Amino acid sequence: MPAVSRRQLLKSAAGLACAAALPGLASTPASAAPVHDLLNALIKKYSDAAKAAMANADIKALFEKDGFRDYLDVYPVGDLAGGFVWKPGMGASFTGPYSKLQIKAPFTDYLPMNEGPVLDKAKTYRIGFVFHGFNHPWLISLADTAAWEAARHPNVQLEVIDAEFDDNKMGQVIDTWIAKKFDGIVLWPSREAPMGPPVDRAIAAGIPVVSLDRRTSSEVISSEVLGNFYANGLQQGLYLQHAAAGAGAMICNRKDLGSTADSIRTGSYLEVIGNSPDYKVLANYHTNSQRTLAFKATADALQAFKDIAIIFNTGGEEAMGALDAVREAGRLNSAPGGKKIIILANDDAREVLKEIRAGNMDMVAPYTPLIGDIGIRAVIAHIGHKAGLLPEAPPKLILTPNLPMITREKMTIEGIETLTPDEWPYAYGPEVAS
Amino acid sequence: MSDATLKSSSASFPSLVTLLRAEPLLWLIAAIIVTGAVTSEYYLTGQNIENLLRSVSVFGLLALGMTVVMLTGRIDLSVAATMIFSIVVGVKVMVLLGDGLGLRWLVKGNTYAGPSLPFLAIAIVTGCAVGAVNGIGIAYFRIAPFIMTLVSLTALRGFNYVLTDGHPYYLRSPVFAFIGDQVVLGIPFSTLVFLAVLVALILFVNGTVAGSRFYAIGGSERAALYAGIRTERFVVLAYMISGFCAALAGILFTARLKSVDAPLASGYELTAIAIAVIGGTALSGGVGSPWRTLLGSLVFASGLNLLAIWGIGTWYQNLIVGTVLIAAVALSRIGRPRASS
Repeated sequence: MPAVSRRQLLKSAAGLACAAALPGLASTPASAAPVHDLLNALIKKYSDAAKAAMANADIKALFEKDGFRDYLDVYPVGDLAGGFVWKPGMGASFTGPYSKLQIKAPFTDYLPMNEGPVLDKAKTYRIGFVFHGFNHPWLISLADTAAWEAARHPNVQLEVIDAEFDDNKMGQVIDTWIAKKFDGIVLWPSREAPMGPPVDRAIAAGIPVVSLDRRTSSEVISSEVLGNFYANGLQQGLYLQHAAAGAGAMICNRKDLGSTADSIRTGSYLEVIGNSPDYKVLANYHTNSQRTLAFKATADALQAFKDIAIIFNTGGEEAMGALDAVREAGRLNSAPGGKKIIILANDDAREVLKEIRAGNMDMVAPYTPLIGDIGIRAVIAHIGHKAGLLPEAPPKLILTPNLPMITREKMTIEGIETLTPDEWPYAYGPEVAS
Repeated sequence: MSDATLKSSSASFPSLVTLLRAEPLLWLIAAIIVTGAVTSEYYLTGQNIENLLRSVSVFGLLALGMTVVMLTGRIDLSVAATMIFSIVVGVKVMVLLGDGLGLRWLVKGNTYAGPSLPFLAIAIVTGCAVGAVNGIGIAYFRIAPFIMTLVSLTALRGFNYVLTDGHPYYLRSPVFAFIGDQVVLGIPFSTLVFLAVLVALILFVNGTVAGSRFYAIGGSERAALYAGIRTERFVVLAYMISGFCAALAGILFTARLKSVDAPLASGYELTAIAIAVIGGTALSGGVGSPWRTLLGSLVFASGLNLLAIWGIGTWYQNLIVGTVLIAAVALSRIGRPRASS
């Protein structure tokens, strides 16, 4: 399949974009269109506006320095595979094989596959699943869903390896699976650049490869299951515009720039707020998904700046670290005018939802790790297609549905009807005492 | 110089029978290979042997440099940071040179598109320069090796982020493809590079008077000083060799990944130390040899490869590596008084 640009994919949402761009839409009730399409239309609206101009010099400088345009322009936004429409409540509940936590996975009906033996029932299919971080709540949930899906099919044998955030080790694991002639590989790459060559080698050896969540630099990868990063950053920006009315000094706790999560989330957030001239970026930290680093960075910033009104966090771990630092400093209500500091988060961990409920965090854009099952189904379908057992291979780009943001109270922001924590059964990670 | 040192020095190119008698690691390597061959149909395939040899090359180079430093009774914690730093500096300097010449050598997507050979030369020089700074700090300014190289490690990791702004650089020229992927007569090119450095180091360390100074300094620095050896110069030289090996390892490593990224290779300095120790290099100095570091590399890589072929998770792999390392250190401690007597 040829490379598809974001612009081409956006055409399918163009009609909705026109509706969303109409003045006054923010005050209308939630759109009847699926939230996925509505968010895609808003992505186009703000992306086009940011391309035309960025009035805030501070935001513009950061946007250009970190080269966000290069990343955003190639990140796919578009329709779901097979015309799938996701609705709240869909999915399956089970106990995570690794975390032992109760899970409700939202997308088990996406590219569906019946329980039982797959493809040639007489053959055992060996699939490798390599990722980083059995010690990370988001990532263990990802592995949970992959293992759950594999266990539904008795002739699928899954080997799960944690590469411990070592890209070279992940490459070596893939090379070992090539030597062992595995039938398929599913991976969660931490960074794009170094994982392209190992994926290319697996594809050259005739092994289908599917990446989850983040991308690799491979252009020949079989499928990429991509999350809704663009919708995450967009909704953080939309919420901020709604809550801060276009003004305030902020600090940013971000992931590594080379990661898809940071490039797209932070980039789309800046696209939304870039035309409001009264935002100011006080400090910008790369805390690399580590709560302790986010805590330290935020604690330092709280010492250095007295007028922090907004804390933008690329991920949930960063948001929790930032909140801990704010609490420790007793600064939750230290924004100018005695207002609460607005804390924006991604990743719908149960502990983040608890803080939303308590009013300590203001919003979270859900980014579910419960997508490992899609990767397993996709790679099985690729194996089947390669063996001539299935007429069609899954699409190269398997976009997961855009999910609406979660706020303490239900509200409608630019046509997006937010959900409350109690309306969100898909949260991941351990339960936390209230 | 101790007897043990003399034994090490005379172990340049021993015969096969002598080797099998003298080197228990060879039996261990043989045992791993036989176990692999018996338990997995994939262990002795060409593809897996290539994987194993590539792993030996990068970690082996780091460990060779570490061995030379450890022979002097010191340590170099900066090797992994140096291997990435030297490549990053190579890209940055070449891009600046290109700008000066009016040429654009960093194209869209952060892909380095300049000439490869000058880039590789800059990377090597950078590695040696980092080693020289470490060595001068330790030898002439009397900074403790642990502190000096720990500071270098931290500073270079920071520099890597500063110089790259957190972006990866893609290295996609045919030269990098050759270095990273080419197989010559069934042996990966990277392994040939490693073997060339190994032979050169064996000849230098075990076959020259200058090389024997490393053992003398590690055995007793005071005695070496009294014997008229300018120990500072040899300490600087040892760190420069370590920096050279690290830069070369960085080239092989990034050529395989076709990119360089600031966070890569975190913690590899500990692997290099582990390999050197498994190979019998004493942390206290004076004992060890590049040849035995090769054996240590083979034990390490073939063992990990076997565990990977068996599908053993990395947690257990780490546990087993740790256990082997403790055993290796304990055995070397038990063996030392006997050797000295």
